[in-house]
Amino acid sequence: MIANTDEARTGYRNVWVVAEVLGGQIQKVTYELLGAARSLANDRACEVWCVVMGHGLDGQIEPLFHGGADVVLAVDEPRFAEFVDEDMASVLVRFVDTHKPEIVLCGATTRGRALIPRVAVAANCGLTADCTGLSIDPENGDLLQTRPAFGGNIMATIRCSNHRPQMATVRPRVMNALPADTGRTGRVIREQLLESEKSTLKKVVEIFQDTENAINLADARFIIAGGRGVKGPEGFQLLKRLAERVNGAVGASRAAVDSGWVPYNHQVGQTGQTVQAMVYVACGISGQIQHLVGMQSCDYIIAIDKDPDTPLMQLADVAIVGDLFEVLPEIVREIPRT
Amino acid sequence: MQHHIENRIYHVEVLPPKQDSEKLEADLERFTNKFNRVMDSGYCCCITDNAMGNLAFQGTEMIEELELEPKPGLVMIHLNTFHTKDDLDRILESCKEMKIEQLLVISGDGSDRLPKLTPADVGATDVESVTSVELLRYIRREYPGVFELGVAFNPYEPEEHEFAKMERKIDAGASFIITQPVIDNHPVVDKLLEKYPDIPVAVEAWMSKNIGLLSEAVGYEVAEDPESFNPVETLKNLHRNYPRCGVYLSLLGFKKQYDRITGLWEQVQSEEVAS
Amino acid sequence: MKMVVCVKQVPGTHDAKIDPETKRIVREGIKAVMNPFDTYAVEEAVKIKEKSGGEVIVMTMGPPRAETVLREAISVGADAGILLSGRAFGGSDTWATSYALAKAIEKIGGVDLVLCGKQAIDGDTAQVGPGIAAQLGWAQATYVMEIPESNNGVITTRRMHEDGWDLCEITLPAVLTVVKDINQPRVPTLKGRLAAQKLDIPVWSPEDIGADEELIGLNGSPTRVVKTNPPPPRGAETLVLNGSPSESAGTLVRELRRRGLL
Repeated sequence: MIANTDEARTGYRNVWVVAEVLGGQIQKVTYELLGAARSLANDRACEVWCVVMGHGLDGQIEPLFHGGADVVLAVDEPRFAEFVDEDMASVLVRFVDTHKPEIVLCGATTRGRALIPRVAVAANCGLTADCTGLSIDPENGDLLQTRPAFGGNIMATIRCSNHRPQMATVRPRVMNALPADTGRTGRVIREQLLESEKSTLKKVVEIFQDTENAINLADARFIIAGGRGVKGPEGFQLLKRLAERVNGAVGASRAAVDSGWVPYNHQVGQTGQTVQAMVYVACGISGQIQHLVGMQSCDYIIAIDKDPDTPLMQLADVAIVGDLFEVLPEIVREIPRT
Repeated sequence: MQHHIENRIYHVEVLPPKQDSEKLEADLERFTNKFNRVMDSGYCCCITDNAMGNLAFQGTEMIEELELEPKPGLVMIHLNTFHTKDDLDRILESCKEMKIEQLLVISGDGSDRLPKLTPADVGATDVESVTSVELLRYIRREYPGVFELGVAFNPYEPEEHEFAKMERKIDAGASFIITQPVIDNHPVVDKLLEKYPDIPVAVEAWMSKNIGLLSEAVGYEVAEDPESFNPVETLKNLHRNYPRCGVYLSLLGFKKQYDRITGLWEQVQSEEVAS
Repeated sequence: MKMVVCVKQVPGTHDAKIDPETKRIVREGIKAVMNPFDTYAVEEAVKIKEKSGGEVIVMTMGPPRAETVLREAISVGADAGILLSGRAFGGSDTWATSYALAKAIEKIGGVDLVLCGKQAIDGDTAQVGPGIAAQLGWAQATYVMEIPESNNGVITTRRMHEDGWDLCEITLPAVLTVVKDINQPRVPTLKGRLAAQKLDIPVWSPEDIGADEELIGLNGSPTRVVKTNPPPPRGAETLVLNGSPSESAGTLVRELRRRGLL
């Protein structure tokens, strides 16, 4: 809503986190956002609310208080076992209208990025995608949102002074969850999906969920990625062994995906996913710009290549000059099983 | 190819306009002029296929749309592995219809915008990705006896590997060979000629003065003084050193250079006979 | 089926060098191109047209030179293009952009399906597609990796998620955003390219689409970029290991332990 006066803006209060629920489970990113929300709420002297839309949420509310929420607004609804973004957006818009939060945060996941833009348009407020930094402007209390643009080549700071609430999505692993404080409790508000909010436009007819093998590149601390130099699907088995050893995920360059060696949901880069792992091991990836923009924000980059002069070998923190088929098994050998 | 060598017919490489050309009309006209000039000289016009991974129009569609008239046996189409199956079949059908018989089958360079043939597309079961070998087999199987299929040879690649690849290409049906650009001579090309005495070979002559570009094209540093490099002299040397070979001219200048190479082959040959 | 594909012209880069000081990417060879994800949206619309008939209109909002991406789409099978252009559109954020595109879609009229790329590679927001759906009050499906069926006013989409996929039946009209996995865009033919050059592309102004001037451009954009900075440098020098595989592996693992990364 337009809120271009101080008076209008004071009508909006509290920091909200929209929980990420996958397969009935609240995901880690939710706790990371609660951590960020807590610090913003301290600056604004207000509460942290967590909105949970899902099904079978029993037992999952308390931990949200331990993670920093003061109030949990929960909709436990069979229909929400599926991702019906239209209905969820309608519910959220109603909540926003009723409770008038000042800030709304959501995970920049496939679901979050589908849901929140719908809400922002309907609620007539600004939305900033993939924020890597959030702070409060001490002068006027606006939310300052920092995000990378042009594949990480520019950091832009964005504000949204004349509309409330201020909405932002944040990628997994960017913010830090608070240590669970089991002494904390809070208030639960149970809400319903209204009949009028049930859209007839979408029917989810089949769900394939592979939580065990989920390619959650966004969430992985370690990513072992392969490119053309991996030479085929057998080569990727080597990468997988290292990934299993360090509890990481397997990524791939576009060349490897286009050759059919690995499915598309492993692709890192401009036409795949942007990742922000703690450690990124690039095996036989020369590092075309389209790949680099998807992984340059990783904390620690290791490259393994026969050619010492590739862009990735230059970008890397550690560049191992050698045959990845010889080096990878040695690395696996050096890391004991846990 | 043997016929071209015997009749001293140059292979002249012509690049179709790039897809992102901002002056397409002018580019089309230039292509038409070059094509017609090569036809008029009785040389063979060799049309590239997205050279260096740059998106360009296809030789076959250029001929069809611009209503060019290929002379029998004087057009060679490059064909690489970066196509959809539909496009590949369409190109082959067009070649067959237009009676274009010579195809240079290469693996080629890809780019983000180019599709890549899959093993299933060409009925290959034993490989992870399609190379010129699989493409050769496919064309030979689908169009038996229709085309004369040639392959590329890169003397700058590790030798053993390159010869092993050549063996597979010959097995798959290649019946002529075109080398990467050679300056004067190359010992690995000599070995190639020794190894395949019965297969016609054309050596490629780099006709641009920009020798740095050549290093980029072949992926290896070609040691040659850029100041003193003289393409036409180098071409003469190729004729002298490889009298049994045809010559493939890349980046030939059509404004001045073309006139200087016309009749050059005959001239060098008669000089050699005289001496 | 009447389809509109929303595309965007973005700066494309072919080449990258690494700045040895900051370890950041230096882009080279920048050229305006169609947003890569949009090429998949165009291809999918053309495929649907080829299979079940209909019309594909491609639309972009941008300066006059953005017309090139419309012609590019037309050269691979779109039937018509519309350029939304005018000074008042300038400075639009995703809210204002989705509003303008939605108004134009309303003006076209009778549209069954809107297709967009998952996101643009310059802004990377992925917000405009769902934004258009919200502006129009239509259903949406994002991260679509396959459209197995489309007929009788219902479209079936396979949506990609982090943990798998789901299959949705969606009542048209609807807005879809697509990922790279959905198809392999065709390369333009010369015939297509020449035809596309001849086609007239209408330019629609804010008045033409009946846009509320308070809701377009900078006026209609809730968000403001207040400053831009280069990203922090990537830091220290590269540790180059070129010993034997076991030596390199040993050094690497020690280094990871030392940094507390293992």
